[in-house]
Amino acid sequence: MKITLVKKIKLDGSLCRKCEDVQQKMEAADQMSLIDEVLLADERDASSPGMVLARRYNVDQAPFFVVEREGLQPEIYTVYFKFVKEVLNQKTREEDELKEILNDNPDLDFL
Amino acid sequence: MTANLLNTLDLDRELSDQSPQEIIAYALEQFDNIAISFSGAEDVVLIDMAHRINPEKVQVFSLDTGRLHAETYRFIEKVREHYGIQIDVVFPDAYAVNNMVREKGLFSFYRDGHKECCSIRKIGPLRRKLLTVDAWITGQRRDQSPGTRTAIPVIQDDKAFARPDDTLTKFNPLANWSSNQVWEYIRSNNVPYNELHDRGYISIGCEPCTRATGPGQHEREGRWWWEEATMKECGLHSVNTQK
Ligand code: SF4
Repeated sequence: MKITLVKKIKLDGSLCRKCEDVQQKMEAADQMSLIDEVLLADERDASSPGMVLARRYNVDQAPFFVVEREGLQPEIYTVYFKFVKEVLNQKTREEDELKEILNDNPDLDFL
Repeated sequence: MTANLLNTLDLDRELSDQSPQEIIAYALEQFDNIAISFSGAEDVVLIDMAHRINPEKVQVFSLDTGRLHAETYRFIEKVREHYGIQIDVVFPDAYAVNNMVREKGLFSFYRDGHKECCSIRKIGPLRRKLLTVDAWITGQRRDQSPGTRTAIPVIQDDKAFARPDDTLTKFNPLANWSSNQVWEYIRSNNVPYNELHDRGYISIGCEPCTRATGPGQHEREGRWWWEEATMKECGLHSVNTQK
């Protein structure tokens, strides 16, 4: 299995807030060692490796994870807690999961 | 997952030109276990449309946060009676609400922002409900949230709420409709509506977080008005992700 993490660099050159947040969480939980490759999706450069992957898999959110298993189609995870639960098989806190969903989907405010 | 995503994207292109009724008809035809999310506001048009298309297949749920207006509870009941349908009213986890209220009081959203309360009172029960269905239909529209970069597609692969190793399809048949079109539909089809709309409420959510808006104000200004409008920043600019 190969896991690639794609982080976004914004137009002003800084790392996107959620990417920073996820990275901090992953470092605190010692999960970065489970990531095989980290790529940058640089909004200023459409040919940056992360932007190329985003196009290939039609992903419009960052960060995201590409999980490649032999003989299977690559799987894309844009929701961090799902990745942690389903790929890393680790526990997450429900309140963190729900907050992440709402942060990533502001359109849910109108339900 | 990838094949599925591409499929959904193709379908979105195809369905984008269709009317909300055609999109709902397609959704009801494709899925047996599909539910409409009804907020007790103008998204009642979804129920009306689905009921005209296939009354047998109308499955509706509403999220009762415990903080809705009395008018909204009355309206949900009116809709239930008017269409002769069951409405599954889903509630937040009592333990989680209890903990939040004990620690932070009943109006923590005015101080800490709405996200914590909304995630407990809305997103938690929504997720529980969505674990039981294969597809869902919402009344979300593009014109509801100015400044959000992410466009609302007509059909999407809902990764946030899908069961593990499974897919969940989300339909937003009103995505391309404006508020005016929704209201034209309500008037010309005599659809019942929430009485709060007659009192200047455009968007209706929970009582403490919703207020009437004046002429020229966007409906978003009637919700969480004390919070600074923040731009969602983790979308990848589509201009840069397109070839
Ligand atoms: S809209 Fe207000 S009261 Fe309702 S769940 Fe959100 S923060 Fe809580």
